Amino acid sequence: MEQYLNMGIKDVISRFPAAGDLLNRFNIGCVPCTVGTCLLKDIVDIHSLSVEDEKELFTGLGEIIHPGEKIVPPKIERKQAAKSGGNTYSPPVKSLVDEHKLIKRLVALIPAIADRADPSTADGFQVISDSVGFIRSYADKFHHAKEEDILFKYFDEGTDIIKVMHEDHANARGHVKAVLEGLEKKDKAITSYNLKKYGEILTEHIKKEDEVLYPWMDRNLTTREVGEMFSKFIAIDNDFADEAKKYEAMIQTLEKNFKNQGD
Amino acid sequence: MECPGSKTMVLDKNDSGNESTGSIKSQLSQWPIQLHLISPTAPYYQGADVLLTADCVAYALGGFHQDYLKGKSIAIACPKLDEGQDVYIEKITSWIDDAKINTLTVMIMQVPCCMGLQQVAMQALKKSTRKIPVKLTVVGLKGDILSEEWITV
Repeated sequence: MEQYLNMGIKDVISRFPAAGDLLNRFNIGCVPCTVGTCLLKDIVDIHSLSVEDEKELFTGLGEIIHPGEKIVPPKIERKQAAKSGGNTYSPPVKSLVDEHKLIKRLVALIPAIADRADPSTADGFQVISDSVGFIRSYADKFHHAKEEDILFKYFDEGTDIIKVMHEDHANARGHVKAVLEGLEKKDKAITSYNLKKYGEILTEHIKKEDEVLYPWMDRNLTTREVGEMFSKFIAIDNDFADEAKKYEAMIQTLEKNFKNQGD
Repeated sequence: MECPGSKTMVLDKNDSGNESTGSIKSQLSQWPIQLHLISPTAPYYQGADVLLTADCVAYALGGFHQDYLKGKSIAIACPKLDEGQDVYIEKITSWIDDAKINTLTVMIMQVPCCMGLQQVAMQALKKSTRKIPVKLTVVGLKGDILSEEWITV
């Protein structure tokens, strides 16, 4: 069992496919992950498993890896014990979670926009153009830049979980670029396909950040780092305040026009 | 019904717990520390991570110096017994606006009267023009951490 603790989780799953199902039962979504080089031993810390869940998971993994043998679950060393009082985000991280809420409101509209907005019409062109404007400015320049330029810098960016986030950002930007190309060609097939792909990536990406990445980061940030980051975020928020209001109003307008359409 | 803050209790101690040997180095890096006595704009508060603790906390928490005081500036107060707590609000507001402290960690005991220190801190935060992260840590009578969370106004 010990030898597998330092093995990449994807390698463990490929050798023992039942391990993927077991991880899913603990809401650890390593199976669809595109990087998956986190080590098996890191899973406990990254996903903040309780002591009981850790024991149950490793007992189950022991039965999968060494069937018929009695395996004593290994005790995983954690950087920091889980704090009591549940998962409360630190204020700067909470502001990122709050920004996700506006991004998710656009993402929820994407299927309807992708199906109905035709870039060859003036109205369709404008809706797609507005949506891409929000994605590039609010979601990317404002929100993702806070993550990439500030938050991630407090961590080793070679860490697998951060590599996954960078990869998601890059993939999302690729689809946005493709939407713009489709817009220029007034090709609905291209805009529709890439908007939907963007929505799929962002849905999974935000879930990973809210539920796994941010709680893990909060457990590892020092009080000093939380305060520094809070000040930096406030300065950015103040500079972006007018644009943020503009985008909030724009999302409301899009919701009026596209929410529940086609239901 | 007896006040939980002054109820007489004998706390059982398990001898098998971790005990450090040798002298433990103090992490205190300033004087004074009582909230009435400190100047909120003293050099050691400038841009600091400040610990505002109820008087009893350091006695209850075995690892207080190493785990909580290290790297921080401090002030202590008793929300139940101290007089002139409006001065406390002014001083905490001055920490935030004048000394531009980085963070404030409020540490209180689990007894109900200790919540007053959190209220004082929150009133100061509402009054201040700057905003900073504030963390509340509640310590049990047996020296355990009951909760530790960031709070918002």
